[in-house]
Amino acid sequence: MTVQRFIRSHSRILISGGFILLIGVAALAAPWLAPYPYDQQDTHSILQGPSPQHWMGTDRLGRDLFSRLLFGARMSMAVGVFTALFAVMFGTVYGAASGYVGGRTDNLLMRFVDLVYALPDLLLIILITVTIGRGVLGIFLALSLVSWVTVARIIRGEVLRLREFSYVEAARAVGAPHHRILLVHILPNTLGVLIVTLTFRIPAAILAESTLSFIGLGIAPPFASWGSMANEGWSAMKYYPHLILFPSLVLFLTMVAFNVLGDALRDALDPERRPRAA
Amino acid sequence: MIGYTLKRLAWGIPVLWLVATATFVLMHVIPGGPFDQEKSLPPEIRANVDSKYHLDRPVLTQYVFYLGDLLRGDFGPSYKYLGRNVNDMIRETFPVSMQLGLWAVLISILLGVGAGILAAARPLSWMDHAAMFLATAGISVPSFVIGTFLILIFSYRLHLFPAALWEGWRYSVLPAVTLALLPAAYIARLTRSSMLEVLNKDFIRTVRAKGFGERRVLFKHALKNSITPVVSFLGPLTATLVTGSFVVEFIFSVPGMGRYFITAVTNRDYPLIMGVTLIYAVLIVAANIVVDLVYIWLDPRMRIRDH
Amino acid sequence: MERRIITGTVIVGLVLAVVFVRAGARAPRALDGSTFRMTLSNEPPTLDWNLATDSVSFDVLINLMEGLTEYDEHLRPRPAVARSWDVSPDGRTYLFHLREDARWSDGEPVTAGDFEYSWKRLLNPKTAAEYAYFLYDIEGAEDYNTGKADRPDSVGVRALDKRTLEVRLRKPIVFFPSITTFMVTFPMRRDIVEKFGERWTEPGRIVTDGPFMLGEWRHEYKLTLSPNPYYYGPEPALRKVTLFVVNETTTALTLYETGDLEMATVPPEAMATYRGRSEYVTAPILRGYYYGFNVQKAPFTDPRIRRAFSMAIDRTEFPAILKRGEIPATFWVPPGMPYHNPAIGLPFDPEAARRLLAGAGFPDGRGFPTVTAVFNTSPENSLIAENLQAQWKRNLGVEVRLDNQEWKVYLKQLQTDPPPLFRLGWGADYPDPDNFMNLFTSTSGNNRTRWRNDRYDELIRSASADSDPVHRQKAYDEAQRILLETDAAIMPLFVATQNWVIKPYVRGLRINPLELLELKDVRLEKP
Repeated sequence: MTVQRFIRSHSRILISGGFILLIGVAALAAPWLAPYPYDQQDTHSILQGPSPQHWMGTDRLGRDLFSRLLFGARMSMAVGVFTALFAVMFGTVYGAASGYVGGRTDNLLMRFVDLVYALPDLLLIILITVTIGRGVLGIFLALSLVSWVTVARIIRGEVLRLREFSYVEAARAVGAPHHRILLVHILPNTLGVLIVTLTFRIPAAILAESTLSFIGLGIAPPFASWGSMANEGWSAMKYYPHLILFPSLVLFLTMVAFNVLGDALRDALDPERRPRAA
Repeated sequence: MIGYTLKRLAWGIPVLWLVATATFVLMHVIPGGPFDQEKSLPPEIRANVDSKYHLDRPVLTQYVFYLGDLLRGDFGPSYKYLGRNVNDMIRETFPVSMQLGLWAVLISILLGVGAGILAAARPLSWMDHAAMFLATAGISVPSFVIGTFLILIFSYRLHLFPAALWEGWRYSVLPAVTLALLPAAYIARLTRSSMLEVLNKDFIRTVRAKGFGERRVLFKHALKNSITPVVSFLGPLTATLVTGSFVVEFIFSVPGMGRYFITAVTNRDYPLIMGVTLIYAVLIVAANIVVDLVYIWLDPRMRIRDH
Repeated sequence: MERRIITGTVIVGLVLAVVFVRAGARAPRALDGSTFRMTLSNEPPTLDWNLATDSVSFDVLINLMEGLTEYDEHLRPRPAVARSWDVSPDGRTYLFHLREDARWSDGEPVTAGDFEYSWKRLLNPKTAAEYAYFLYDIEGAEDYNTGKADRPDSVGVRALDKRTLEVRLRKPIVFFPSITTFMVTFPMRRDIVEKFGERWTEPGRIVTDGPFMLGEWRHEYKLTLSPNPYYYGPEPALRKVTLFVVNETTTALTLYETGDLEMATVPPEAMATYRGRSEYVTAPILRGYYYGFNVQKAPFTDPRIRRAFSMAIDRTEFPAILKRGEIPATFWVPPGMPYHNPAIGLPFDPEAARRLLAGAGFPDGRGFPTVTAVFNTSPENSLIAENLQAQWKRNLGVEVRLDNQEWKVYLKQLQTDPPPLFRLGWGADYPDPDNFMNLFTSTSGNNRTRWRNDRYDELIRSASADSDPVHRQKAYDEAQRILLETDAAIMPLFVATQNWVIKPYVRGLRINPLELLELKDVRLEKP
């Protein structure tokens, strides 16, 4: 097909994917793109609004917001992507196995999920961040360990439902081995939910990191993430809105991009699922 | 069904015991104890304080003491708020969080399922796009930003609702809405995606071919089949919302239980940590049981079979 | 079909909107004329004044209770429940004479026995009071509290009769009447405490002797106070005081702005908006903020390096950053406290600092090991730490890493293994410099620097016993010079300030450096 048709029919993927790529490149190229170092303070230019010298203004220590946003992209993207990937991988394996096998094993596995769910997240997070530290590794590990259970439950629910479909019974009657049934018949049908879940896990992880910053356990200074920048700005929303406006905006746009991408991918992957205008 | 429920309830007990034990272990592994403060105590006074709260005994002994109290339903005294019992603290604050949480669940279901159905019924239409855009907005902004924003507009500027505190029903509106937005967005998306999947299935075409009205198609057939992921999500969500959200209760100064989840840990108030954790655990276990029962009610084929 | 859904939703939405607008819109709060509302930043951990340690409990207790002495506007002790006192020539025995008309809120008279009971309860090891050491200068107190003696009558406080209290000290303490202003020394009713046990402070049980009494206490949410009908002094003009527990300063300020509070603190971001207004009040507090060195950890074993670090910091940057009129401090005894001396301390001199560093073997910071500065997590601490990091880099060429820890974790570390550079603060328990200076004696449990200096110890000891102001000034000056200039065991950064907005119709509120919010003289003038 022609280039125009390709673009038109895959517009969502291209636009959102392109935006994410842009953010990713900006994040990687931050040291070269940023007009100022992210930790350079200038106590004579504190809390200024946007100006030609500082495109997005300055923060409470006179640091350039635009530069910090660029560097913050690295943190936020890293935390978001790693946490989501880990949570989804582990959660899917766990949930699918549990749902498929059923019976006592399923019961046991789900009770363990209950246990993890029922533990206060904060305890685990404090423990991990105290031992490992509050860099990307510590935060990502801590967040992954408390978030994989949601995925497990969802996937298990799906597998339970799909397991009863006639084609699964047919496959079993024919003698197909379990792993084949899982991989070929069941899991592909969870793909929609899986992709949706993944594209939700990324922003969820980034938001979780910003909530951690709110409590005081997020990324350690002087590093920045979008979440920690939003936290620094929220109490001043009435007086210095630029502090929170820019990080929230970038956060928002990136999240939207991930979601649109997820939708588009899901539609493209499964012809049965394409929304047909009724 | 009854047998199944009882079996699940019975399973809940070892889970709760495990939770109590795991929490106890975690609490004691983290550095820092309840009586460390900026002005340090002379060692003799410190010894007095420790012995009053059994902190000088070996950990195993503390654990046994603790389990004994738990079995009697007594969470013990708070270490930070002297003279107060954790049972009382929970009894006073839990109803507030519960009230707020239930409102939030209700709002999020109404908004979320409603938006999801609207979007799935007319995919790719402007309604679909509008609903999904709002849903995305809901999950893209941290709740402390949303809350403050709502206060700024509806309280500070428009004087419609109070900015904080808990003196009447009007005070619950802004916090409940803040709490509900994130779940509503999730639910909207889950509903839409799940319904779309179901709507494309053959059996829906059959139902349509039979001449049933669109409304019946949507609600009776499609919704019932697509609701599973939403139910999965709602179970733990209700338990979480009902035990309170730290962020919302902090911003709106709501006297609920949610704040304890954080403050008890930062204060190393062991009995309080255990109290709120166990309440939460009980609710989660109960919610999961209810979720599984709902699965079965929705689709009896899903009853768990042994392989 | 969707059209019907949409129409339905729109109608419902409109109805709800109308309902909300009607219900929500209200006239601006009518001024009550007699209820004073303000916030506490946290739930008071306890109202048992033997056990209380924090400023929030104190804010409530200062209005509920009165002790032997209280402060005047210059923070000097003056009679309260004690109408006068005599001191023996050797300065070790005090005889307090109580007023005839001091009464508890249930009508019972306040007796010397109530003081004796309270102080012995404070020192009783079973009470496990964290502030028991406050009264250690009383004869026998320390031994009793540490279990070396087990008879309460070995403690040197005795009610000679209903109106006379005798106190015997183990050494002369000139500022003892300041100590008796502090909440842990307030009198207490044995019968109430014994009757109700640990929950005696609940409303309906607690009995107090100050201008107000406790009405309602909804935990974690609010307390209400009302005037004590038996108080000996003039009856307070306020009919009711409501103290809301609001953790977030921005929320409190918003409540003030919507007319729901009579006063609120001003957070840094609101300073620019409020600074010029007449409702804004600022005053220093007796609270110092400092960074300490662990002098046993290299490279801070060398006093030249410590001095260099101190001199490399321009402290005037802190008020610019924190925006609350913080007072840059190179001294330790804060302004407002007797014997404060602004001329003490190492000045900002980056060249001299660099010379010192070079002399210690690290010209331009070359070869200087990376050190970590640790502080407890808070937005302000982060700002200060990041600024210090940048200044040390700029002025000394030195890399300092930052680590922040959660409060409990941090305290543990300070106790067991203080980091080479750490942040701490200290707020005065009573307005005497001894309270600030004894922190760094070799026996103080709060001295995290691992520094000791015998001359310093001796100066502090002698100053606490000497009543001559000239001697005390000299002693504290010399001690501060040792602490801050010669040995530079700590580097003070600034003195905190308090910043309030108060409604113009509030009269009679005195703002003082100990942040004691006494409401007994406050009245609300209707416009």
